[in-house]
Amino acid sequence: MSRAEATRQDTKGRRPIGLLLVAVPVFLVLSLIVWPVALSVFDTLTVETPSGVTLSLDAYRFFFSDSFSLRNLWMTVQVAAICTALLLAISLPIALYLRFSTSRLTGYIQALALFPLFVPSILLAYALIRTLGPNGTVDILLSAVGLPKLASPYLTIWGPIIGLVWDNLPLTLLIVLAGLGNVSRASIDAARDVGANRVQLLRYIILPRIRSTLLVAASFVILGLFSAFTLPYLLGPAVPEMMGPFMRRTIIDVDDPLQARTQAVVTFLICAAFAYFYVRSIARTRREQSS
Amino acid sequence: MSMPALRRAGPASLGLSRLRANGAGITIAALLSLFILTPLVNVAIWAFTEIWRYPAVIPQKFGFRFWGDVLSRGDVHLAMTTSLSLAAIVTALSALICLPASYAFARMDFPGRNLFFMSFLTVYAFPKFGLYITIATIFLGLGLIGNFWGVVLIQLVSTLMFMVWIPVSAFQNVDRRQEEAARDAGASPLRVFWSITLPQVLPAISAAVLLTFVNTFYETEVAWLIGAPEVRTVPLLMVRFINSELVVQYGAVLSLLLWVPSFVLLMLVRRFLGAQALGRALGA
Repeated sequence: MSRAEATRQDTKGRRPIGLLLVAVPVFLVLSLIVWPVALSVFDTLTVETPSGVTLSLDAYRFFFSDSFSLRNLWMTVQVAAICTALLLAISLPIALYLRFSTSRLTGYIQALALFPLFVPSILLAYALIRTLGPNGTVDILLSAVGLPKLASPYLTIWGPIIGLVWDNLPLTLLIVLAGLGNVSRASIDAARDVGANRVQLLRYIILPRIRSTLLVAASFVILGLFSAFTLPYLLGPAVPEMMGPFMRRTIIDVDDPLQARTQAVVTFLICAAFAYFYVRSIARTRREQSS
Repeated sequence: MSMPALRRAGPASLGLSRLRANGAGITIAALLSLFILTPLVNVAIWAFTEIWRYPAVIPQKFGFRFWGDVLSRGDVHLAMTTSLSLAAIVTALSALICLPASYAFARMDFPGRNLFFMSFLTVYAFPKFGLYITIATIFLGLGLIGNFWGVVLIQLVSTLMFMVWIPVSAFQNVDRRQEEAARDAGASPLRVFWSITLPQVLPAISAAVLLTFVNTFYETEVAWLIGAPEVRTVPLLMVRFINSELVVQYGAVLSLLLWVPSFVLLMLVRRFLGAQALGRALGA
């Protein structure tokens, strides 16, 4: 037996050491993710009475009967839906071009589309206010060519939408691009040879193969939208507001931790199905990577 | 043009088809440039502007006056110090606890290994801000709101996905035969790790460290929710500039000051990781 083999067997024997090495990060996950979520779910579903803790849906009853909370939730759903549609509509053509074109422009386009990864969202918020806000670049350019001012998207629902699309474009594109890796050039060429046009190619050859990828991309975007805070807070309207700023205001300014937790659990529940698709796909890539 | 038609038409129409294909490319490139670059170029111009009155297209006066102003502001210094020490502490702690763990996940066998490894997926399973809210309610009771170490603790959790996932796959990709050969040649385990294993995983670990540092430095939401108003980081200073500063240039100069180092660091990360792996590290 060589020394290497001996050590390997040795390693197998040293079980507790492995456990010891992973203990702290695992403890962090348990105490700062699993425990807070579990506690919030438990506390929002129960009330303390003199006779002990009993089940109660009061916190949720309040949320779902409060028109203010519902308006904020509805706005978040709307923004999430619009952003998801826009992001998929923008990244799909870019991804198709990057995947199937041999032009030298692909390098430039990819660099540009990934660029937002390198711009922290707080700086983006500032840049967008200077660009789209009152007397910003868009206004300047419009007045320079003699056109009337457009209504500024700043402080409307479109402010956060533009910001969030900008911010989420790179990762959405990377997800779609990875999915397009499953569509072989040969299958495209074969379909072309029998006379398929571009629309037919997309509909019958490409889309069926990337359906699950698009679902994962949409899930990723939706999860991000329900937890968006900085961009909606700085670019969006004060009333109604998206769930991120709403939750912060409820816990800090209104000082109502119970409702803030209820709002958080509501976002978890709405996102649960998307979280499932997203996490499943991450788990799959990790497994592929490690094998 | 369909493929058979293209073959029949021969090289003459190939040029035409390439032009049309590039038409799509040029359209995409132009629209994307407009969308992505306009806000950034705009801020860069503002940073070097002294006077720019609406509705002039070009600023009336360029200059560096506001750079001196920003660089000498006390709140900028304080925020820089806070953010740099926050990012340094979080990165160091994260490396200290995660790198040994990622080695263990990649190379050792112990009970519950897969379960513990998959437990890190919970980082992705919840909308982040809702998660921070549930943590904040616990921190309220512990007096950790407005506390530097409260911020450190939560940011540590969001670094797990870089510091555990990226190094794990790097450790798994190390060529075991080289290590065994070195052991057979008489090298000590420590020597093998230092001379064989470490050089192979170093690019991935550097990428993880840089990503952690940059992300912590620019992290706004935890600092805002848990740290404000006592913990004043650079992103929070930026928020104040956006909300209540009348001099546009302060924000523009600070943006440029902040953005250039992050750009350089992340370009380095890209050299170590490549676009797809970087995307995976960030959750794509």
